[in-house]
Amino acid sequence: MGRLLNTILIGVSGGSIYSLMALALVLVWRSTRVVNFAQAGQAILSTYIGYVVITHTNNYWIAFPVALLAGALAGALIDILMVRTLMKRAHSGPVAGIAPVIATLGLLGLIRAVVGMIWGGDLRQFKLPVSNHGFTFGHNTIPFAPINLLIVMTTVVVMLIFSLIFQRTNLGLSLRASAYQPEIARLAGIRVDLTRTIGWAFAGAAGAVAGMLVTPTNYLSPNSLDLLLVSGFVAAVIGGLESLVGAAVGGLILGISLALVLEYISSSLAFPVAFVVLIAVLLFKPSGLIGAKRTRHA
Amino acid sequence: MRNLFGHSSRRLKAAIAFPVIGVVLFIISNRVDELRVYQGANVAVYVVAIISIILLTGYSGQISLGHGALMAVGAYAAVLSQVYWHLPIILTFVVAVLAAAGFGAILGTAAGRLTGPYLAGTTLALAVGLPSLANQFGFLGGEQGLNYDVGLPPTWLGADFTQYKWFFWISALAALMVTWLSFNLLGSHYGRNWRALRSNPTAAALMGIHVGRSKVLAFTVSSGLAGLSGALLAMTISLVTPSAFPTSLSFSIVTGAVLAGVTLLTGSIVGAVVLVAIPEITGALATHLGGSEKVTSNLPGLLTSVLLIVAVLLFPNGPQAIMKRTRKSSH
Repeated sequence: MGRLLNTILIGVSGGSIYSLMALALVLVWRSTRVVNFAQAGQAILSTYIGYVVITHTNNYWIAFPVALLAGALAGALIDILMVRTLMKRAHSGPVAGIAPVIATLGLLGLIRAVVGMIWGGDLRQFKLPVSNHGFTFGHNTIPFAPINLLIVMTTVVVMLIFSLIFQRTNLGLSLRASAYQPEIARLAGIRVDLTRTIGWAFAGAAGAVAGMLVTPTNYLSPNSLDLLLVSGFVAAVIGGLESLVGAAVGGLILGISLALVLEYISSSLAFPVAFVVLIAVLLFKPSGLIGAKRTRHA
Repeated sequence: MRNLFGHSSRRLKAAIAFPVIGVVLFIISNRVDELRVYQGANVAVYVVAIISIILLTGYSGQISLGHGALMAVGAYAAVLSQVYWHLPIILTFVVAVLAAAGFGAILGTAAGRLTGPYLAGTTLALAVGLPSLANQFGFLGGEQGLNYDVGLPPTWLGADFTQYKWFFWISALAALMVTWLSFNLLGSHYGRNWRALRSNPTAAALMGIHVGRSKVLAFTVSSGLAGLSGALLAMTISLVTPSAFPTSLSFSIVTGAVLAGVTLLTGSIVGAVVLVAIPEITGALATHLGGSEKVTSNLPGLLTSVLLIVAVLLFPNGPQAIMKRTRKSSH
């Protein structure tokens, strides 16, 4: 019983990070109708910037907001410099539908190459912000450590902030309106382009947080977040790709099921399990486990 | 009558063109140095890979960011059939095609119901995750990989017939055959169905085209070709390892296809030449400019990505779409 509980706790911690990545993908998908594969690149760039701050100040807590801001800025810049042009140009012809996806792929490669040029391909490590030795209860030490608690708490806080923004502010209302019906939102006086840029900035920030949280328990290299991108995508699909709540729940479902499989079956099955979950959801519940009310848009 | 004539003249042209190209390639391969021959082999490998993307994306309108993984499936199938079944080399290529096509058929059955972002994400997941599986199953050889040996060139070709020239002959022949087959396939009713599907799935369905089946077929054929190019790639490096099929390989062949103009079969040669030329160009740049290993090792990736972004931003439907437009406006 204790083992099961521990596994679930670890799953929640891993799943929190997937949720953040899923949130980043969902935010862009809602506003732009593009799955932003460059998100892994944006997150890795922000995390490297965080890494530089850590090596200079030796303080994780200064690096964290810097990385977050860098992520937001990168997201906004990508929208302004690339996505706007793309939206204007690629609207007809045989590959109009997939041109934006290909562009984000190019961007992922570009950011990776630039990161590799600046920092090289060596594996790097963060100094841990808090301990990674499990909590001790009496004589038992559980695998769940302060670092895991930090991950879960930070994710909860980020999710709360986002849901407050979306539900309680005018900005959130504009974001939701532009995602739902851009034309009508524009008629209602919302500056849809600006709103979309803000959506990209939020997504960039969420991705940066995911990168800053996952790296202390892992290592940092120009493509160390690729797998996180895949997990985030799977989580987003589980949640229906449209809903922020879905992203959070999808991340948790994926995190816990992965943790269970790794603990009870085999530790080499992480990728196959994630992939099978993805295919199963797409085949049997393509609108996601959460967003069942809405139909899927192509 | 016109249709019949049009068709047969097209076939006739092809029937003349392909042997001529073959002979020209043969003559060229005897005149240039070893490095160029080797690069020629690489171009041929990329031609096959790019055509597999052109069939899929340019004609049936599906996208795959994971063809590098399908190439890995083909390469591993080929090498395993050689190591464990001791098949003759020509049959290992057949195994590569069949294995990748089978894998693609299963994937395509799931993918046939997926659109845009879902398909892109699923195939990307494959590209990221699949090659690393080789590290987890002992019989796949782990990080060291498995040796894939197509053998020395036959002795009747002469003593000065080099290994690289043999690679080039095999891959060039494969590329020519694939181009010719694709040419015919796209001219057949399958090609027409795919084009109809790409332009308007609903209208295609109303015309009696089985949308799901057509898409799965496109995915299967494309995967088979990717498998072949994977085996050819493995041949040129005599090795099958996970690191031969990184995610950047998938991205590269998508870049090649976009540069080729995703609907233009003959453009594949342009895309392939660019992909082979990129490391050459960046190598020259690096020695010219100096710069550390960090910079030089990332230059090819940088150039590929910039090309991809610029190509998609400037001519999302391929360079020939722009030419068509200018030709129209000049009338």
